[in-house]
Amino acid sequence: MKPVMVVGGGISGIQAALDLADQGIKVYLVEKTPSIGGRMAQLDKTFPTLDCASCILTPKMVEVARHENIEILAYSEVLEINGEAGNFKVKVRKKPRYVDVTKCTGCGVCMKYCPSKVPDEFNLGLSERKAIYIPFPQAIPLKATIDAEHCLWFQKNICRNCEKFCPAKAIDYEQKPEDIELNVAAIIFATGYELIADHSLLTDQYGYGRYANVYTNLEFERLVSATGPTGGEILRRSDRRHPKNIAFIQCVCSRDVRINPNCSSICCMASVKEAILVREHHPDIEVTIFYMDMRAFGKGYQEFYDRAKEEFGIRFVRSKPATIVEDPETKNLIIYYEDTHTSTYKAEEFEMVVLAVGIKPVVPDSFVPVGEDMFAQVKDPYLDPVASPVPGIYVIGMLNSPKDIPDSVIQGSAAAMKASILACKSE
Amino acid sequence: MSSEEVEMEGACPTDEIRIGVYVCHCGLNIAGVINVKEVVQYAQNLPNVVSAKEYIFMCSAPGQDLIREDIKKCKLNRVVIAACGPEMHEPTFRAVLEEAGLNPYVLEMVSIREGSSWVHYDNPEAATEKAKDMIRMAVARARNLEPLEKMRGEVKQQALVVGGGIAGLTSALDLAERGFEVHIVEKRPVLGGHAARMGQLNVEGRKIAGKDLVNYLVEKIKDNPNIHIYTNAEVSKVDGSIGNFTIKVKIKPRYVNDKCTLCNKCVEVCPVTAPNEYEYGISERKAIFLPFDGAYPSQYIIDPETCTFCGKCVEVCPENAINLDEKEKEITIEVGGIILATGHDPYEPPIGEYGYGLSPKVITLHQLKRLLSEDGPTKGELIIDGKRPKNIVFISCVGSLGTTPNANQYCSRMCCSASLIEALHIREKYPDAQVFFVHKDVRTYGKDESLYWKAIDNLVKFVRFEESPKVTVDKDEVKVEVKESTIQERLVIPADLVVLVTGMVPPKEIENLRSLFKVGCGGDGFLKEAHLKLNPVESLTGGIYLAGTATGPKSIAESIVAGSAAAAKAASLLSKDTIEVEPIVAVVDEDKCSGCGICVSICPYGAISLEKREDGTRVSKVDPMLCQGCGTCGAACPSAAIQQNSYKDKQIIPQILAVFER
Repeated sequence: MKPVMVVGGGISGIQAALDLADQGIKVYLVEKTPSIGGRMAQLDKTFPTLDCASCILTPKMVEVARHENIEILAYSEVLEINGEAGNFKVKVRKKPRYVDVTKCTGCGVCMKYCPSKVPDEFNLGLSERKAIYIPFPQAIPLKATIDAEHCLWFQKNICRNCEKFCPAKAIDYEQKPEDIELNVAAIIFATGYELIADHSLLTDQYGYGRYANVYTNLEFERLVSATGPTGGEILRRSDRRHPKNIAFIQCVCSRDVRINPNCSSICCMASVKEAILVREHHPDIEVTIFYMDMRAFGKGYQEFYDRAKEEFGIRFVRSKPATIVEDPETKNLIIYYEDTHTSTYKAEEFEMVVLAVGIKPVVPDSFVPVGEDMFAQVKDPYLDPVASPVPGIYVIGMLNSPKDIPDSVIQGSAAAMKASILACKSE
Repeated sequence: MSSEEVEMEGACPTDEIRIGVYVCHCGLNIAGVINVKEVVQYAQNLPNVVSAKEYIFMCSAPGQDLIREDIKKCKLNRVVIAACGPEMHEPTFRAVLEEAGLNPYVLEMVSIREGSSWVHYDNPEAATEKAKDMIRMAVARARNLEPLEKMRGEVKQQALVVGGGIAGLTSALDLAERGFEVHIVEKRPVLGGHAARMGQLNVEGRKIAGKDLVNYLVEKIKDNPNIHIYTNAEVSKVDGSIGNFTIKVKIKPRYVNDKCTLCNKCVEVCPVTAPNEYEYGISERKAIFLPFDGAYPSQYIIDPETCTFCGKCVEVCPENAINLDEKEKEITIEVGGIILATGHDPYEPPIGEYGYGLSPKVITLHQLKRLLSEDGPTKGELIIDGKRPKNIVFISCVGSLGTTPNANQYCSRMCCSASLIEALHIREKYPDAQVFFVHKDVRTYGKDESLYWKAIDNLVKFVRFEESPKVTVDKDEVKVEVKESTIQERLVIPADLVVLVTGMVPPKEIENLRSLFKVGCGGDGFLKEAHLKLNPVESLTGGIYLAGTATGPKSIAESIVAGSAAAAKAASLLSKDTIEVEPIVAVVDEDKCSGCGICVSICPYGAISLEKREDGTRVSKVDPMLCQGCGTCGAACPSAAIQQNSYKDKQIIPQILAVFER
């Protein structure tokens, strides 16, 4: 029985890996960043149960780390795939961490003494990390990584502080990329998504990047998170004080023929959840959500939306705002919109604006065929909904289509089932 | 108070207890705040502690070696590790104990990192004192820890799938292809559930007839030697637990055997007619009938409820395939795991809701789908009351989102997309028909948004409401009155056909399923998953998994994925010969138990049952294979008869009392 490879260590890939490993099948879990966990690790809470995301994700990550049948290849990337279903040869590059992972204990001393500061991608640049870093406290593997692009030793041949202070003597500046070839029966791609935050619409129409107090929903998620850059305090970028009111704008770069005609599936409930978190943290902050259709379709979602209105007093306005203008003195934001329930044009001032930005898949190079919308093609949405047209390759989670956490988890399990059939037939 | 004074009944004699305490620096995470040397010295002087040591990383290989050597050298029989929380490294240290010849359950981990150094980083002295308190408490608890043995159970490598709809068929086929034997039990006489009758489906532009989709699976299932199909059958009894269930299945008589060639002679002579439930009541059938075109098994069935047993069919059957004396059978199957793919019922509007039942011009979406299906009673022609309708009005959220007093609060998820598929179908087939979609929100999420775009391009008229619309039926005339919330005007739409977009409700027999399989239901009445986000296809009961719409509304494509997902969970169980279960479970002191049954009613895992003692009184029994050690029963027991291994009073009370020993 050959092993199976899972590419992408987010919740969908984690679930696929666990369900294969639990069947006694060896799994290589390839993750390009230093830690598994994916987007879910960045979330504060999850809708509609308001479970703390880390509290429910971390146990699964730990299970992956401990599983005798799972080998995590973090900070690694797939370079080449040859062969066919039942017998793939995959070349994987392990990128150099410049840290000997067999010695590093994840104590974090190196991070304390590293003088080079870098915008922290885990907090979407809202805070800084060091050039040697562990992406977040629950990272798995819990090992430090040197970001050579920002390390003073690699850039200027000075410092070597981490080496001096590492109690485990784990720093190794001589590490090189290591290419390995693995023989697997099937490959599951679960490479996830990113926000369509680079589109000019965000800057031109809504002033993102130009106006200090306009945030994306993922940035706001970090802002409201207890483990985020402000410890969960909602503070404006411009003056570090609490806003009196916040507006959420839905369907930014979603359901928009110019950019992305798909609905991104998750943003309605994500905004409802973030709005509830605001009201829980600061009951005096008023929250308005500008929406087109409230896509509260999943189990418990409508009930959650009802609670937002009735229990938390969140205001819902059916409108797609036309534009935002910043008051240059107060840095407040004036939203111009049509209230479609009353057919009136309005201008309303808010102290903070959150853009519910749509999603696009992270496509694994040329390894899977994609459709016009860049999501991975599936062999047949009914007869084979998690299979790529390439036999033996499966595409799940956000790479497959926009979806929420439960659906990503279900697809992870489903792909594990299909791949296990292939693995058991292989010799 | 000295340690002797808190000794409780049942504890080991003090002189035999030999405890080792190991304090981890965790780099600077602990040692950067807490004075570890001071803590170790303190621990050294606690009663029964024979060795106390520190190390920079206890979890590292040298740290583990240190503990292993100490256990042997100092003849330790209890170990306390003061480090991080148990989540990550309890298994690591349990293995260390085992390797050194100790029972892995005489380990106590005390989290001085999360509980002290991290939260009191700004007050090192207080953090050090707190760490001492925590270790003293841990030592008090460790003194009374007992060795426990993991329980093992055999796994029968077969599965039961309840429900032969699209999700259940997918689960069964996946498991069979993976090499496991599967039994499908379907209550109806045919496989395919609702999907088989859903007409044309359309996801991401892929069109397929529901019937063809089912046939694709049925063709594979028929020929798979690992699959046993029981139609017209119901589970009547479930015994046992994860890995080892004994299932009794009642197979109702079909009265027609597999010699039947579907020649139709019997149907012609049958004098009884009844509404055909498989066509959602839009056509009639005989008492002997084939539920729908292409149904599997492809043989007639006699409905005993409507049949008069006149015997005419027996006389004409050329194959002698009919036996009116056939009796119900019962079989027993033994399986390791169970998948409940028990589906849903379509919401049935009460008479008069939106004019339903008052005019042939008001029908449900399911009925419309049958009318538009080429294998339906009108061969796909949309004829209502003898005429082709021109003005067709869909009303969404019927039975959902609290739109009527009888409606549920939840969203039925698939109905917006399902309606737009049919709206487009009508616009394509009858370009002169006007189609109105009267809706609350349009919830074509994800890639289904393309249906919304297409419907706009194809001139489907979208009418939004806040207040529920009114349908008036006046003789032949049907009108839909609605306040359009965008233009804020009251519209009256004369309708030749009103389609009520009905949602999904839990199946009628859900209560029976609940008590048979000991699974729970959520507030919406559907079966409850172990965790809504991360365990969406597992029930809270070990060995029982959930697929398709059993847990709530899903589209057909989503039900298929969930079918495979549930199969993966079952495959994980069935691929093991034995399963190991944690011994930290509830235990009943039978002398104290009054048999009141409170524990039975509150156990979330259905792990407790009442049994009769020899004297006729009742006593609680915990099935350790099902118990998850949550402690709920122990807290609720009015007689204090339930204790939990490793968390018994004799372990917890000394730990609490030790707080005051400072």
